[in-house]
Amino acid sequence: MTYQSTIQGVRGGFGQLLRAEWTKFWSVRSTVLCLLAAIGLSILLSMFLTFNSTDANEGPHYVDQFGFVYQPLAGDGSVVAHVQSQRDSHQWAKAGVIIKQSLQSGTPYAAVMVTPGHGVRFEATFNTQYTGTAAGGPRWLKLTRSGTSVTGFESGDGVTWTPVGTVTIAGLAPTAQVGLFVSSPPNYVVEKHFAGNDQHEVPTNGEATFDNVSVRPAVPTTLPAAPGPPVRWSFADILDTNRFPGGLAPGGFTETDGAFVVSGNGDIAGSESVSSLEAPTGDDIVKASLAGIQIGLIAFVALGVLYASSEYRTGLIRTTFTASPRRGRVLAAKAAVLGSVVLVAGLIASFGAFLAIQPKLHEKGYEPPAYPYLSLTNETVLRAVAGTALFLTLLALLSLGLGFVLRRSARAITLVLALVLVPQLAGDLIPSIEAAKWMVRLTPVAGLEIQQSRLRFDTAIGPWAGLAVLCGYAAVALLAALWMLRRRDA
Amino acid sequence: MIRRALRMEWTKLRTVRTSTWSLACLAAFSIGPGALLVSSLGGMCPPECDADAAQLSLAGVRLSQLAVVVLAVLTVSVEYETTMIRTTFAAVPGRITVLAAKALALTVVVLAAGTVTMLAMFGVGRAVMPDGYPPLSLADGPTLRAFGGTVLYLGLTALLALGVATIVRHTAAGISLVAALFYVVPIAAQAIGDEHFREQLQRYAPMSAGLAIQATKGLDDLPIGPWPGLAVLAAYAAAALLIAAVLIRARDA
Repeated sequence: MTYQSTIQGVRGGFGQLLRAEWTKFWSVRSTVLCLLAAIGLSILLSMFLTFNSTDANEGPHYVDQFGFVYQPLAGDGSVVAHVQSQRDSHQWAKAGVIIKQSLQSGTPYAAVMVTPGHGVRFEATFNTQYTGTAAGGPRWLKLTRSGTSVTGFESGDGVTWTPVGTVTIAGLAPTAQVGLFVSSPPNYVVEKHFAGNDQHEVPTNGEATFDNVSVRPAVPTTLPAAPGPPVRWSFADILDTNRFPGGLAPGGFTETDGAFVVSGNGDIAGSESVSSLEAPTGDDIVKASLAGIQIGLIAFVALGVLYASSEYRTGLIRTTFTASPRRGRVLAAKAAVLGSVVLVAGLIASFGAFLAIQPKLHEKGYEPPAYPYLSLTNETVLRAVAGTALFLTLLALLSLGLGFVLRRSARAITLVLALVLVPQLAGDLIPSIEAAKWMVRLTPVAGLEIQQSRLRFDTAIGPWAGLAVLCGYAAVALLAALWMLRRRDA
Repeated sequence: MIRRALRMEWTKLRTVRTSTWSLACLAAFSIGPGALLVSSLGGMCPPECDADAAQLSLAGVRLSQLAVVVLAVLTVSVEYETTMIRTTFAAVPGRITVLAAKALALTVVVLAAGTVTMLAMFGVGRAVMPDGYPPLSLADGPTLRAFGGTVLYLGLTALLALGVATIVRHTAAGISLVAALFYVVPIAAQAIGDEHFREQLQRYAPMSAGLAIQATKGLDDLPIGPWPGLAVLAAYAAAALLIAAVLIRARDA
């Protein structure tokens, strides 16, 4: 004869189960301490970084270096050239016609140009830019000066001209230099060393061939109109010694039968306008504001593991399973309670850290224009800050799962910490950027990428893809826990 | 009395499964990553890049030290969690004696296991070193310092963890705290752009400073020298043990 319990199964008992788990969670003093420690650590350690400072805003906010084939243009007039070909030396390599105050680096200018990666552009005075046709050269380009106003045109055939943009350059000298220019910014190469990263600039050499080059003063001059030898073209390397103190390779030009081959390097741009200036090692200040989480997470891991393992240590788990024999539901209730508490605590920690640190960072030089102010209404910022709480929630669930699988706090905590702390250090040690990236992609640390706000040389994985990796870990741990819970004795 | 206490602690350490497990983990996770890094050196860094091969082959210690931390924390915390500590204090009422015996037994075990592990790491590192790189040699002073110093590093790590565990008397808290203490600066340092501030932090953080002992090249660029670095870790361990000694006398078991 088989024994059958006469106790009726309670329907809709999940609510009660949730309440039971909530009571267990909340009534333990160390839980509350742990949560406070987690939030406190995350915010305090982020404060650490307020010792950081940047000089990104010191010094001039532009770069102005290029190869310049020029001649003076007195008063109004226009300069025309056909860019026959341009070497694809960099996506931001520039070739076109320019009018510039003087041969001094940093003086006002207006230029219309082709670029290999960004089509036709009209740029002026380091702060103005208009985009033209998306396709690059070959293209006809024209600049027309009228007083202090300069207009850039482009054309496919040299007959029909389309304006790209107009700009007024206050104080443009009566006689400005006009002509052809070529620039090509250096590539940033980051090399890993054992002590850190080393960033160099590897110069690229821009080159373009122009033909049908002409400079036409608007007012007929008193000079004889006979087609005598035109004003001689000269070449100058405009050098920006602030930006490229070591100098880059010199440019040059040759002219054969009206075809000008001009070479040069550097860039003409303001810091806000062109990403060619953005070094791949620049600080990700959203991520930096949340850096305390990387250590604060230890407390959330401990919390998750203990929520499972302490029941085994004290034998409470038997009572729990007696009260609620369906073990899967116990796991679900625990996951729900832990997940929601950690989500709330994580939101407090991440928003707290972010908001507390912003004003400090501003004091330390993280200010526009190099570092624009960050606002929580910005989608990327919000994703990073709120996503941090999701990261912590998933991490706590992973810890809970492993706590049930391993049933001992020491093992489970050590395993999770080894998985989330050590890979963060691997980057320092692995002298290959690619290998270090894989280390991040394959471990739960990938979830931290939800904090990224700009692409850097060491960005391993997209923000949501990274969180998905952690999600996978958490799901596997919880499924393993479910399987083990059903299979094993308590 | 100390002899009896030592014998007691030695028996405990010898007979719990945790010791075997954690020391096996120490060996496996020390050797594995280093061997992997050194053997893939050819792909990552040609001989001219002048890699610090000794430091690379010791890289796994950043991970495997957790095994030592676990062993050290459990040595104390489990006694409190199972109330075994009352039996211990009944047998040896001198609490400082108990702490000293625990520290001594643990240190001996960790140093012995550490030495064996380091020798194995050295052998493996030497064997997997790709052709064209200068071979590892213990006759080379800095290399010997790196390998031998890492054994001492592990010993000091164990003492620090033992001290912390005696202070908090809780397994999870002990492991988490030591992990935080160790990893906070190396991880935070990556987000710190200011070189001066970063170096200051690395100079006074137990793990960053202690691991300076593993460097054999570019010592001038280190925030702290090898031996002073190890001394910083020793200072942490001493402070933790001192507080532990005060608390173990002051508190009820």
